[in-house]
Amino acid sequence: MAARLGYTILYVADVEATVAFYEAAFGLPRKFIHESNLYAEMDTGQTTLSFAGEPMAEMNGLAIRANRKTDVAAGFELALIFHDPEEAYLNAIAAGATPVKPPEHKPWGQIVGYVRDVNGCLVEIASAMPD
Amino acid sequence: MPSRLAQRRAGFREMTLSARYTELSLAAGLGEEVEAVWTSVSDRAASYRVLPDGRCDIILRFDAGQRPITGVTVVVTGPTTRFYDVPIEPGIGFVGLRLRPGWFETVLGFEPAELTNSNLIGAQAIAACPALKCLCAPARDQNELVTSLTAFVRKRAADGRLVLAPLSRSVIGAFHAAGGRLRISDVAQMHAVSARTLQRLVVKATGLTPKALAGILQFHRALRLLRDHRLSPADAAVEAGFSDQAHMSRVIRRMGGFSPARLPDVTLVSLDD
Repeated sequence: MAARLGYTILYVADVEATVAFYEAAFGLPRKFIHESNLYAEMDTGQTTLSFAGEPMAEMNGLAIRANRKTDVAAGFELALIFHDPEEAYLNAIAAGATPVKPPEHKPWGQIVGYVRDVNGCLVEIASAMPD
Repeated sequence: MPSRLAQRRAGFREMTLSARYTELSLAAGLGEEVEAVWTSVSDRAASYRVLPDGRCDIILRFDAGQRPITGVTVVVTGPTTRFYDVPIEPGIGFVGLRLRPGWFETVLGFEPAELTNSNLIGAQAIAACPALKCLCAPARDQNELVTSLTAFVRKRAADGRLVLAPLSRSVIGAFHAAGGRLRISDVAQMHAVSARTLQRLVVKATGLTPKALAGILQFHRALRLLRDHRLSPADAAVEAGFSDQAHMSRVIRRMGGFSPARLPDVTLVSLDD
């Protein structure tokens, strides 16, 4: 019984603002925002990146540590692949991302940098793994 | 998709079988200041137990057998830290609107801390917030009361100058999302504010101290884990963040007035999208 990764869902304080940020900072198009403004999906292909409003955690009986820009980042990251990570890094920062580490060449051939998004979540900005 | 949006909001309200409590699906028309709009009609003398949930309601009480409805009494309930029972006479109807945490002052014009563990009934409520008087006007039926109460709150929220500061909203959101499991100092640190500032923000917005708010949220979640998620008391205690099962039992007895082993007929009411 093998599972398939379906969704990565980040709980955020403001779904609409997060979607707008991901569009501007990373160029990811939105798929839709639910009219309640409590849930949205980005157009990320087979595995969906979604944002859920924090009230959804409470509604579903979950307890989470909310992501905040002023807090230490939670123990996970989203890795986004760009053709030009250097340009993507600058663009993300211009759109409001917090710089963490500028892109650098890794021994295995990838270019990798890090920013934090508007909610304080770690986002890796990388080039594709070379063939 | 909305299947992923399971419930708009859920809350515990205990009621006897004779009282019909319904949350109305007005989701599309509700602003962010409104958590739920509900109605309740009792067909015989009953007692209605209200559990502390960190929320405040504006309630219209009326004679359900009368058309048109006259003599509407407006009631504002403050934030509570323990359960209380409301005796209900037969034939009395209620239309209520539960404010989302943090919206009390915006809508009513005074701070919820003034009303902690108490209610304002009729003339007292109107004295505290004169605009509430318009809700006492005669209405054709219950639906008209729902419409006027919803419109009143929406207008007050839109016109309000006492808008909840983004930092307060963020802090309260973090408490709710964590189900009361985070330490007060953690929530303060997450927002880069002092514990004292946090205390002031939370009391102003909710009428409860951060400790009381966290305690209520933890209690509420423990009930959901027991009733809705059907966890064993031992598992629920761990997941809700109590030191042990005995600790959870003590809190449930104190806040709800019952034992976790004998949960009363608590109805999990929810508003589906």
